[in-house]
Amino acid sequence: MQIAVSGGKGGTGKSTVAINLAVELARRFKLVLADLDVEAPNDHLLLGVELAGEEPVNQFMPKFDYSKCTKCRKCAEVCEEHAIITLKDGTPFLMPNLCSGCRACEIVCPVPGAIQEAFRVIGHTYVTETPYGFTLVTGKLREGEERSMPLVVEAKKRARNLNYELLMVDTAAGTGNTVSKAIEGSRLLIAVTEPTPLGIHDTELILKLGKLMGLKTWVVVNRSDLGDVEKVREITEKYGAEVVAEIPYSENIVRSYVSGRPIVLEDVPEAKIFRELAEKVADFLGGDE
Amino acid sequence: MQVAIASGKGGVGKSTITASLLYFLKDKYRLIAVDADAEAPNLGLLLGVEEWDKEREHIGAKVARINTETCVRCGICYERCPYESIYIDEDGNYVVNELTCEGCNVCGLVCPVPGTITLEQARSGVIRKATTKYGFPIISAQLDVGRPESGKLVTEEKEWAKKLMDELNLEHMIVDSAAGIGCQVIASIGGADLTILIAEPTPASLSDVQRAYKVVQHFRQPAYLIVNKADLNPGFTALREWAEAEGIPIIGEVPYDRAIPKSMAMLKPVVEAFPDSPASKALKEIAERIAEEILG
Repeated sequence: MQIAVSGGKGGTGKSTVAINLAVELARRFKLVLADLDVEAPNDHLLLGVELAGEEPVNQFMPKFDYSKCTKCRKCAEVCEEHAIITLKDGTPFLMPNLCSGCRACEIVCPVPGAIQEAFRVIGHTYVTETPYGFTLVTGKLREGEERSMPLVVEAKKRARNLNYELLMVDTAAGTGNTVSKAIEGSRLLIAVTEPTPLGIHDTELILKLGKLMGLKTWVVVNRSDLGDVEKVREITEKYGAEVVAEIPYSENIVRSYVSGRPIVLEDVPEAKIFRELAEKVADFLGGDE
Repeated sequence: MQVAIASGKGGVGKSTITASLLYFLKDKYRLIAVDADAEAPNLGLLLGVEEWDKEREHIGAKVARINTETCVRCGICYERCPYESIYIDEDGNYVVNELTCEGCNVCGLVCPVPGTITLEQARSGVIRKATTKYGFPIISAQLDVGRPESGKLVTEEKEWAKKLMDELNLEHMIVDSAAGIGCQVIASIGGADLTILIAEPTPASLSDVQRAYKVVQHFRQPAYLIVNKADLNPGFTALREWAEAEGIPIIGEVPYDRAIPKSMAMLKPVVEAFPDSPASKALKEIAERIAEEILG
């Protein structure tokens, strides 16, 4: 089974919640945490581990065999990304950065062998054993590449191929289709927010996404003393979700964040909040079976 | 001039700092602001925008649809979808998940029954314009949830902003980009004259700003750095060392200041709400340096 940690706005503390929950839940489940914030993956830094088990993500791109190409332009016409341009006489050229690797061009090309398979590395996935009893899978988009969707798909695939009872995904900021791809298949969506007007605005978007996807959604209010938690509650209830935890702004959390050691391992009051949240998640998952 | 503001990591203060810099720079220059975070747009909120005077729908996304009446359930579309966006529902029908579809049309091309899978235009979101109470215009966007290609919305926003710059004879476009380094950020940084990077002294922020800087280098632009929450983590020197090693000028440091979240709750730039706070004083100095050394 799978659960997701997301949040709409950037910097609300998604990764902090994800790694601390992972450390706690790894005591009860054989757990894999997948960092699907492929544009800015940070879970390994927060866990203080070095990424390991690197594998390139190779994306298909067409390579034209000009001796066979009949210059029919079908490849260029079918390319939704406009990654293939043609000269006046119909000779196709690829602009690699725009290519999404979908193979539509290859499918329509009428001449066998005129489009050959080439690949380029658009990023990497990693599988890292953490000292906390769970495995971390990380997707990392290569700088300069535009499309994060293929990386999210590959990293999630790599995670799913591992042996686990509970897969936890940590998503990117935002509410676009790469976030929904990451969340897809979850039994529970945990949205991390902060009680500022900006946080509330963006929480509404992630709640909307959760509702569209038909997911049970919980809200964790981070830095809960920096704003009006009641407003978060109102919006949360409007979408049939519930606020399950409040984490006040804390120097201890900042210190743990910076030092790369999860706070649930420390003997501080904040650790208790994460432990209780983990228990709630475990109860929910257990009771649901 | 077109100035992009980027950070890689979300939540390090891009929009807060952008709003404050705009507040100072508006007195000296004719500006336009662009909120290029189409998935979580906040700059308009921070500048107190309550109503948008213009709004355009953007029909740019494409999604595949499967006609279950003519579908022969061969499953080829399901196998060939590069993004695993086709699923089988309880009745055994093949269905496109519109919240993850990238609109590549591979399913339509491999389907053996003509007309069964069609690629349809869909709304990707809206682009909006307002005039802020500070006198300068702002362009913002909102991607519909679950839609692809927020980068295209950002490109549209910048085109609209450029048109307004010509019409209103404006001097500078300030683009507040999204978190990350993908299409939205590439669309934000591409075409800019320079990028101001914002980072806080933490390992995560350093890692992400280094990635954003690679995108800036890709476009061969000059970069500058503002260190936010500069006193958050006194032992952490790696951010400043990295900037120095790369030759990225640090144009200022903003201390951690509780006045910032308070000002956010008031939906005002901190420099307006609490002009005497330590963060506001630092931001004023940074605005002066930007005026002197960058905008001229």
